[in-house]
Amino acid sequence: MPQLVDMRNIIKVYPNGVVANRDVNFSVERGEIHALVGENGAGKSTLMKIVYGLEQPTSGSIIFNGRPVKLQSPHQAIDFGIGMVHQNFMLIPSFTIAQNIVLGHEPVKGRLLDTKAAIRITEQLAQEYGLDVDPTAKVEATPVGMRQRVEILKTLYRGADLLILDEPTAVLTPQETDDLFDAVRRLVAQGKTVIFITHKLIEVKEISDRVTVMRHGEVTGRVQTAEVSEEDIARMMVGRDVLFRIEKPRQQRGEVVVQVKGLSYVSPTGRPLLRDVSFQIHRGEILGIAGVEGNGQTQLAEVLSGLQPPTTGEATIGGQSVLGRGPRHVRQAGVAHIPEDRLTNGVALEADIADNLVVDRYYRSPFARRGAMSLRQVRRHAEQLMQKFDIRAAGAEALMGSLSGGNMQKVIIAREFSADPVLLIAAQPTRGVDIGASEFVRRQLVEERNKGKAVLLISADLAELLTLADRIAVLYKGEIVALFRSRPDLSEEELGLYMLGLKRQLPEQRE
Amino acid sequence: MNEARQKFSLEFMRIVVVIVLALLLGFVITAMVSSDPVDAYRELLTGPLPKITINDNGDWQLRGINRFGNWLEDSITLTLLGLSIAIVFKARQFSLGAEGQLTLGALGAGIVSLYIPAPFVIHIGLALLVAGFFGYIWGLIPGALKAYLNADEIVSTLMLNIIAIQLYQFILTRYLKDPTAGYVGTEFFPESAILPVVIPGTRVTIALFIAIIAIVAVWFLMSRTPLGYEIRMLGANRRFAEYGGINAKRVIALSMGLSGILAGLAGAHLSMGLLKQLTLTLSPNIGFEGIVVAMLARNDPKFVPVAALFYGYLRTGAQIMERSSDVTREMVLVIQAIIILFITAERIVPLVQGWWLHRQSPEAILDSAEAKG
Repeated sequence: MPQLVDMRNIIKVYPNGVVANRDVNFSVERGEIHALVGENGAGKSTLMKIVYGLEQPTSGSIIFNGRPVKLQSPHQAIDFGIGMVHQNFMLIPSFTIAQNIVLGHEPVKGRLLDTKAAIRITEQLAQEYGLDVDPTAKVEATPVGMRQRVEILKTLYRGADLLILDEPTAVLTPQETDDLFDAVRRLVAQGKTVIFITHKLIEVKEISDRVTVMRHGEVTGRVQTAEVSEEDIARMMVGRDVLFRIEKPRQQRGEVVVQVKGLSYVSPTGRPLLRDVSFQIHRGEILGIAGVEGNGQTQLAEVLSGLQPPTTGEATIGGQSVLGRGPRHVRQAGVAHIPEDRLTNGVALEADIADNLVVDRYYRSPFARRGAMSLRQVRRHAEQLMQKFDIRAAGAEALMGSLSGGNMQKVIIAREFSADPVLLIAAQPTRGVDIGASEFVRRQLVEERNKGKAVLLISADLAELLTLADRIAVLYKGEIVALFRSRPDLSEEELGLYMLGLKRQLPEQRE
Repeated sequence: MNEARQKFSLEFMRIVVVIVLALLLGFVITAMVSSDPVDAYRELLTGPLPKITINDNGDWQLRGINRFGNWLEDSITLTLLGLSIAIVFKARQFSLGAEGQLTLGALGAGIVSLYIPAPFVIHIGLALLVAGFFGYIWGLIPGALKAYLNADEIVSTLMLNIIAIQLYQFILTRYLKDPTAGYVGTEFFPESAILPVVIPGTRVTIALFIAIIAIVAVWFLMSRTPLGYEIRMLGANRRFAEYGGINAKRVIALSMGLSGILAGLAGAHLSMGLLKQLTLTLSPNIGFEGIVVAMLARNDPKFVPVAALFYGYLRTGAQIMERSSDVTREMVLVIQAIIILFITAERIVPLVQGWWLHRQSPEAILDSAEAKG
């Protein structure tokens, strides 16, 4: 088959000296679904930014459709028929779907936007490619799955033949993921070519024809998907064997240590985001919180960690009421928190690793004594944790911003686990984390549970919840609509029905 | 350690390259406006240095010591103001309030000097204490307004400057003015409240030591105390600081208050060291120069004195050039501003590096990148 894109000997060195791609060869054939996989920092995003004109290679050549090209901007890439759907959608929330799709190339009547034509165009495109959207709905009022379809339609409207999908399933429910895969298959059937960036291997197996695996800026594998197993791909990604199964011994559940009663939170704009949430967590138990993104998970974590005062309700840890007096009070009561938005909340990129590791304890002995801080203690503490949690960096004084995503994650985990908490709140702890580090995080969570801690695991990854949690609560529109004991016959699809609000338990059915 | 040294030498190289470029550009401009540019520029570059002359008998004589003194006096003020702003910048806040804090600091020092009799050392100590306290209050006010009422600190500090200066002039003309003087100003301070001179022939006083102590104190505060840690984390990422349990509002207010102490001390230096009285204007707009110093020093207390000495040198040299050449005051200020503009333009060196990188072969690029990281 003819090659659509052929990238040869691509080297990309960023001005700060980071080598993102070293001599990468990457090619995609016309009409295939090509998965590009690799851990965070493997260089796959950089490579795709180069194809999309967002970055220029330091050296190397790109041959598109048989001709050498120089892509200086996304604009040029679009002219060549290359479209990219980013992980964070680039849509205008207050515009309708039709308006968003035609944005930049609007059909006009006189000097005004021809709204009817825009709607017609949208409907035609949607029908042609089987991507169902409501042209007149405002983007802000539509679910995530539809927004993603809008993004895809937008690139198709601009004439894309090659679609780059950057981790498209990260934000979707199982049902939505199935829909997306159907749509991708239809696109390919109509002659489009798709590059699918992911690190979920099950998806690679399900959707792709070929896989390119990257590690440390180099290509470590280029194979026909059908000829390899998930384990093979994982080995190419990580460079060693990866354990997919996590050993989880029978639960030794202790007494109730966390009591949440009637928790409600109304946003400053008056939207109720948590409604009368109550639950208990025992010692030695992982309580999972499932739900489609935006159903109150973020607020639940923020309220319980003290970052936001609840509107009503309370939480007690070991009988002691903890809310309403700020994060330090909550932390002192024994709560540790792995935040969802780790780059904004969990680390200070401009500070060094040692400083990042003491943010909850710098004011206590041995770090501070009689008003002065001991840099020696801060550094020693950092070195110990770096060793224990295998944080790879130039040293304790290395800036946080110089670490890879996985290592940043480990810094947060090292700090929160070493706080020796009673309750550990882990919000999306493996999101955006590569396989090797995910495996590590999951094992650590189970270990904490085995040590008798209470763990609140908020995750959009249902497979993760089903493996790790002892009980699973489903949050829908800020309310707990179901609470299950984890058992082998509980399926992702069953949970999905509750997550989408199609089913809800009666209070007495909760387990 | 190696990395730190490499970073330091890189930073040093950057500064040297940029200063040379800036001075060249300054000379080009001087050449355009002066009939004798070489002489004029020499005044700028060497004016603040004392000159040794040797007469026919072989005796040597030191001349221009007062110019040298001017340089150090100005650098002391700039050091204190630069430290003041560095604290605020480290907390990633902004302050234009040094002018007001300095004015009230001078006022406090003046009131104690004139109206509270005390023996020598105690008198100075008390006056400095009050100057620092006035500055503290005048910094804490915009800090608290920002922290608790979300009042923009740029606006509030500017407004508080106006209030402070008008208040100062009102109190001075209404209550403190020496009725026998032909101008608006107080009597000279008593001997017990004047900072003792340490370099004869200049007005370089023990304020020099106050500045040195201030450098050490701010360095210690920022890198060795819990409050300094809180300020740094607040500046690095406020949401992270709050997540970790730091009371960001308190830290914002305190950082601006502490910054005020240093500006207040700069006011004491002006009144008790240089002027030895209070006059209607102290040193107009000097309050804003601390921002330049802090930026040159990258908000690092260790580098503040270096930046202050450099900037003080430039300011003194510019004054001398203005006095002793045909370059007008306006052009002198333009040249001075261009030099500073150049130095604070962060992207100049990476630009050069990027250009260099693109000229090289792929193998060389990988090699040099590998060697670096």
